[in-house]
Amino acid sequence: MRVVVDLNRCQGYAQCCYAAPESFALRGHEILFYDPAPPDEARARIERARLACPVRAIFVEAADLHAADVQESDPSKVDLPKVDRP
Amino acid sequence: MSDDTLFAEVLDGANRANPYPIYERLRRRPVSRQRDGAYVVSTHAAIRSLLFDPRLSSEDLPPSRRPRTGNPFKDWIINPLKNRVATAHRPLIFRDPPDHDTLRGFVMKEFTIARVNNLHGRVEALVDTLIERCRGRDEVCLVEDLSYPLPVAVICELLGVPEADEPQFHAWATQLATALEPDARRDEEARRATVTTFDAIAAYMRRLIRDKRRHPADDMLSGLARRGDRGEPAMGDVDLISTAVLLLVAGHETTVNLITNGMLTLLRHPQELARLKADPERAPRLIEELLRYEPPVHFRTRKALGAIEIGGTTIPPGAPVVLLFASGNRDPERFSDPDRFDPSRDDIQHFGFGGGLHYCVGAPLARIEAEIALVTLCRRLVEPRLMADPPSYRAGASLRGPSNLGIHIAGIV
Repeated sequence: MRVVVDLNRCQGYAQCCYAAPESFALRGHEILFYDPAPPDEARARIERARLACPVRAIFVEAADLHAADVQESDPSKVDLPKVDRP
Repeated sequence: MSDDTLFAEVLDGANRANPYPIYERLRRRPVSRQRDGAYVVSTHAAIRSLLFDPRLSSEDLPPSRRPRTGNPFKDWIINPLKNRVATAHRPLIFRDPPDHDTLRGFVMKEFTIARVNNLHGRVEALVDTLIERCRGRDEVCLVEDLSYPLPVAVICELLGVPEADEPQFHAWATQLATALEPDARRDEEARRATVTTFDAIAAYMRRLIRDKRRHPADDMLSGLARRGDRGEPAMGDVDLISTAVLLLVAGHETTVNLITNGMLTLLRHPQELARLKADPERAPRLIEELLRYEPPVHFRTRKALGAIEIGGTTIPPGAPVVLLFASGNRDPERFSDPDRFDPSRDDIQHFGFGGGLHYCVGAPLARIEAEIALVTLCRRLVEPRLMADPPSYRAGASLRGPSNLGIHIAGIV
């Protein structure tokens, strides 16, 4: 499983730290440390963290996705969640 | 009906069961001026941008004023002093930076990840006990049987407030929560009642905090009260009391709505109830969708500090601004098919816990309580059916939820 956090979006709400404390930690007010390759048994907690993020900054790539598809796909066509920017 | 009275319709109890069509009409403009001078913000984009706008202040309550007693010493010396202290030391939900940030920092240091996550097993045990008490009945009154007692027991345990004292502050909590309701804020008598209630609960907290200092336990109040003793920066006593009251009231008056609205929504969507029962792992996403679809807090009021131009309207300085979260959550510009309860949607950026620097402190706890309550109810109630739809609602338009939810059951497993 691969985890990516868009740190431009992250606002330090710390909801991920409560949901998956072994994979996310906030140092000081807004420096987020996270495990980019958490073990598979953390999956349910990582999913909770992803869903609880108020700014949808956490992206999870599960192992059951075909790695080849991800590598070969055109980044501009990747279906990221729609985000409204003020 | 003209647009400048739509928010009055939202406040009207007759529309409590379904305010969403009014929100839809309000969304024809991102910001609509109401006849009383308030500005209602109803679209997702406008709410989102204002949540991060420092020109909006949360210090929007009128100064507190204690009722006359007839005793000149009290009326001319003591109470004016109390009024000034109470106004200056409002709880952090009604404060702006930098004071807000300092107070919130103290709370967050005690609202630790371990302390919150350790409540998991306790919440499970409480839910099971509360459901077990309904055994032998063919009817569950969800609010009094579970939705109310669960968060109350949890917040008491977390803060270190003896649960045996709960009957004493049950009515206080209900009264103080009206500080979020525009009607009660405008009504002079209701405001006096709130001040009197605050004095009663503050006296209770003052005694409790004194006890905690003498006999510290492993709870949030002990932690908050002891900080100064260890030479660390600490809250002053008045802030400590108003913070303790805020946390206690917040624990009483919000999660109850999340759980009740959740069960109501599941009973209205039996296929989702069946899916959750079959696969409890659906719960986290279902709860986020619930926070979008039927949030426990529908709006919060702020005050404009300067002129704010937004969505083709200029909000003048001093004007009350209503951030209508529950409407932003149903904005078709942001969510496809917004009036459909769809726990499989992935793009759920809701305002169920507000946003920006006042984002709900208790969110992680509310998520734990709601998840365990809903999953366990679905598993243990046999053939649950709604007895009345819509149910009766509590008075609040902001803290909105059923006052009672009768569920017919064929048994408990």
